[in-house]
Amino acid sequence: MNTRREFLKQLGLATATLPFISNLNAFAAPASAGARKQRLIVMFSPNGTVPWDFWPEQEGSDYDLKPILQPMAEFKDRMLVTKGVCDKLKGDGDRHMRGMGCMLTGIELFPGNIQGGSDTPAGWASGISLDQELKNYLQSKEETRTRFGSLEFGVMVPDRADTWTRMSYAGPNKPVAPIDDPYQMFKKLYGQMKDRRNLTSILDDVQEDLQRLSSIIGSEDRQLLEEHAEFVRSMELQLQADAGSRLDHVVPELEPGVKEENDNIPQITKMQMDLLVNSFVNDFARVASFQITNSVGQPKMTWLGIDESHHTLSHEPDSNKEAHDKLTKINTWYCEQLAYLTKRLAETPEPNGEGSLLDNTLILWGNELGQGNNHTLNNIPFVMVGNGLDFNMGRSLKFPMVPHNRLLMSIAHGFGHHIETFGKPEFCSDGPLSLS
Amino acid sequence: MTRCVCILFIVSGLLFTTCSPLSAQEPAALQRGAKVFADKCASCHGAKGEGTADNYPEAIFGDQPTIDLADYISTTMPEGEPELCTGEDATAVAEWMQQAFYSPEAQARLNPPRRRLSRLTVSQYRNAIADLVESFAWTSRPDEQHGLKARYYKSRSFRDKEKVIERIDPVIDFNFGEATPDPEKIPEAEQFSIRWEGSILIDETGWYDFILKTENGGKLYINDSRTPLIDAWVKSGYDTEYRGARYLLAGRLYRVTLEWFTFKEKTASVGLWWKPPHGIEQPIPARHLSPQSSAPVLVVETPFPPDDRSDGYIRGTSVSREWVDATTFAAIEAVDKLVAQLPSAAKLKGDDDEAERQRKLKEFCSTFAYRAFRRPLSDTDRQTYVDGQFESAETSDDAVRRSLLAVLKSPRFLYREVTGQDDAFTKAARLSFALINSIPDRPLLEAAEKGWLDSEKGLRDQAWRLVNSYRGQVQLREFLRVWMNLERLEEVDKDAEIFPDFTPELVADLRSSLELLLTEAVTSEDGFQRLLTTPDMWVNDRIAAFYGIEKPVGDDFQKLPFEPQHRAGIASHPFLLSGLAYHDTTSPIHRGVFLSRGILGRALKPPPDSVAPLPPELEPHLTTRERVIKQTSPAMCNNCHKMINSLGFALEEFDAVGRFRAVEKEKPVNAAGYYRLRTGKTVNFTGASELAAFLLKSEETHRSFARQLFHHMVQQPILAYGPEAITELAEFFAGHQFSMKHLMVEIACRSASFSTPTTGKETTGD
Repeated sequence: MNTRREFLKQLGLATATLPFISNLNAFAAPASAGARKQRLIVMFSPNGTVPWDFWPEQEGSDYDLKPILQPMAEFKDRMLVTKGVCDKLKGDGDRHMRGMGCMLTGIELFPGNIQGGSDTPAGWASGISLDQELKNYLQSKEETRTRFGSLEFGVMVPDRADTWTRMSYAGPNKPVAPIDDPYQMFKKLYGQMKDRRNLTSILDDVQEDLQRLSSIIGSEDRQLLEEHAEFVRSMELQLQADAGSRLDHVVPELEPGVKEENDNIPQITKMQMDLLVNSFVNDFARVASFQITNSVGQPKMTWLGIDESHHTLSHEPDSNKEAHDKLTKINTWYCEQLAYLTKRLAETPEPNGEGSLLDNTLILWGNELGQGNNHTLNNIPFVMVGNGLDFNMGRSLKFPMVPHNRLLMSIAHGFGHHIETFGKPEFCSDGPLSLS
Repeated sequence: MTRCVCILFIVSGLLFTTCSPLSAQEPAALQRGAKVFADKCASCHGAKGEGTADNYPEAIFGDQPTIDLADYISTTMPEGEPELCTGEDATAVAEWMQQAFYSPEAQARLNPPRRRLSRLTVSQYRNAIADLVESFAWTSRPDEQHGLKARYYKSRSFRDKEKVIERIDPVIDFNFGEATPDPEKIPEAEQFSIRWEGSILIDETGWYDFILKTENGGKLYINDSRTPLIDAWVKSGYDTEYRGARYLLAGRLYRVTLEWFTFKEKTASVGLWWKPPHGIEQPIPARHLSPQSSAPVLVVETPFPPDDRSDGYIRGTSVSREWVDATTFAAIEAVDKLVAQLPSAAKLKGDDDEAERQRKLKEFCSTFAYRAFRRPLSDTDRQTYVDGQFESAETSDDAVRRSLLAVLKSPRFLYREVTGQDDAFTKAARLSFALINSIPDRPLLEAAEKGWLDSEKGLRDQAWRLVNSYRGQVQLREFLRVWMNLERLEEVDKDAEIFPDFTPELVADLRSSLELLLTEAVTSEDGFQRLLTTPDMWVNDRIAAFYGIEKPVGDDFQKLPFEPQHRAGIASHPFLLSGLAYHDTTSPIHRGVFLSRGILGRALKPPPDSVAPLPPELEPHLTTRERVIKQTSPAMCNNCHKMINSLGFALEEFDAVGRFRAVEKEKPVNAAGYYRLRTGKTVNFTGASELAAFLLKSEETHRSFARQLFHHMVQQPILAYGPEAITELAEFFAGHQFSMKHLMVEIACRSASFSTPTTGKETTGD
């Protein structure tokens, strides 16, 4: 059941005393003000990577693709692979917790009651995450404001709120829950449009019945019903006028009845990515996160012939070749999802603009760990795709073990949001990484 | 309460051009009065006191006894030349005016009020939606048990094998510190968990803030077993207080679950607190908790514009764009929430084929429309609201949505008696709105279907069933709050220098004390007598300390005698006494207005000018009584204030915070008061007890109570139900030992059986 606030939010209402139609209009996107749109997607997959099957040997623009990144071959010249970027945050929480909670916040976790496999118990992150920071930045300006600002997608995120299942934070102690049910996401995005269509169809019937009743009611009471009918009529007219002008959004079709279960992960991922691309076409948001499972995620990729859970496999020592072949396959599958998303963005023309969505979008693919078996927070496998931020793409870069706060700052600066620090200030003193 | 006093007066001023003495004997007195009025008064006031645009546009009417009216004319009229109409002339004019147009009875004859087409009021709308949805599920009724069911576990998980204690906890407010709640059963203070379950019992509609206080982790679910209202399972940082709000409707149980655990933390504590609409933050009292479970209630949270209450009671006789919009948003909200419950509400099964599914959905929509419209569907209705929707929509899911939406936007749902029909279903709906402020429940609809309501006994059986339900109790309780003026006493605060211990907490306790008296009143046969004359008060430790009452040890409220030699009933309850006072001194005027208008039912018009009260510091030697007399001494004021003041003075033995005082400004307090009945007879009393005894006995109190209750329940003017309706109900009330339930049943049955329809073809052309 929705809270009142959520309900109003879904209707796009600032206040319910606004006239009905202006409320419904809140749903239409604001007109673009000329400048090109910039968008960010953060994609997450868990449990670290297989470094030797991931990192390119060569630096620079003529770089090689190892097996895990092979699915991105087509987009190699629009990709940045950044080795040597590290999550340097210490403090409470085990590394899976810190890896997840600090990935986008760049700041420590609060002390708390969530006990990981090692270290001290911890709570939520103590700062805002980059996606929410940029959402606030874009929403603060008329020309970049959108209906939702940001959308948080998930795929098979366990139904529990804890440090391992949340990467996006609206502020200290304010985790944002991803929506991992495509039908729920669809309802959030398009539900009101459906309400409006239904409303339009029934108002005629109501109006007719009002007339029937007006004719049998006493003359002194008729006026009340006539006033009522007049209000209904004006609502009808406004709905019609609106339908003519603003209701041209592309509403995607969702295959019905896909259950949230392990074996449907590929299908759910695709549905969610399609919804994401569609929401960009409709300019519902300029920032999105896409969280596949969770930190310590345990999907069983049976569709790849792998029956063990991902996290369990990730603990195997480097010497276990069989396990690592599987881990490479698993990470390659995540990369295929990135490739699908990239392809969809590349194929979709920018509405009312030049080029494709990919020309105006940056995807950041991240992970809570560098590698699963040693739980390192060094060399987080960060990959960026797309030309949204005027970075000089198509390169493999190696940094001297720099704090990842600097990468987060680079992205903020790429949006024109020139913050001096992000997250823990002492990790920001060298400024943003130079990527352009 | 603000410093700007309302000096009220009863009659709009009477202007006479001339008024020459005429001699006439008793039988001819009326004729004489008529002649005087026509000759001397009508040029300004109109032939029947309706006013004239140029001179004095206000209509003259009121409820003063003739003797007071004559006195007023004699001393003030004609304006500027009062000596021209005095003595017998003035009396003759007053007598004639009374019966010609001045008195409420004459007004009712001249302008007979009409029952008007009405829409559902906001609370009726919200109740109706909740009841509609509830009619497809199960409901639970409150019982005698209080507190929540508690299960204690010796680990972090709520696994049965870890469960070590099961009990009822009356209040959830524990500070375990570094210890465990039970060292034997829960050996480790470092790790244990508790789950509390049950329901919250709500007797006042509004927004409730819920507060989870804990140093550890917890989740609170209210009226929603899937999404927690408060999710503080992850302890993070240093917060120990988490909040969430829910809008809840009175008269219902709402499911509550609190899950809590501690793990590796130094200390442990957990408190389930709330801030009710008029209260302060406090642990939820046991009387509002029940260990039984309950079904979810669909509460529409869409804001609505407030209902009209210009007639003194809430009624739905006007519409606005805001209201039409609100009903649209509310319908969408309700349908959204309802569709989530569709499988169980429509009894859908996983293996239903499409035809079967559609059949069930259509049946569900038809039943929904029947209950929403409070009557069986005609073929046209069925086509419009159900079949037509299934024909036009692409999928059956869309059809259901459209059907439900259409029903909730239909005038047949939104209005009362809009079809003009007058049959058993009309009776059922009237009965139900009157007694539980909502649509008929299933047993009542069944009674209508089977013709049981055609007999007086059948009708009364249903009325008694409803009045005895918790919802019926709440309907009475909500009325008593209006009758006692409680809703206007939102903020009671006092000068902190004069009354340092009169804290917001104490005010909230006093309000609770009064609410407990209401509980007592609505559940006992002599509730009315108790309200007016009880020698007892519900007291907790804070109240006891402030008012110097000896109270046995115990956290909760106890009923104790409270200065019975000085006090009786609500008029001397400290909450009303302090609410009807200034922040530093008493206000006999506020108290007098409450007594005359609220309890005795006198019509008071606003004062001609708002007059700033005389500040006490300007007349430091005067007592409050003396000061008020001085301020209201001009004839224009005194016409009403002699009544208002002389009622309020009887409560002068209680200071601005409701404490007894024998002395003010070093003078003994004079608590003598009087009241002139509408018959002209004067009754004297001194102090609160004599005042209360008078109020209980007074026919005017009974008439006022019956009239106000009628308006609260029926939302139509009582005089539209016949000129004798008030008198008959007041006599019925007195004849039934002032049983408020009997009176409610009588009002409900009378209005339900009243045969002239408000509307429809049969309407006589008034």
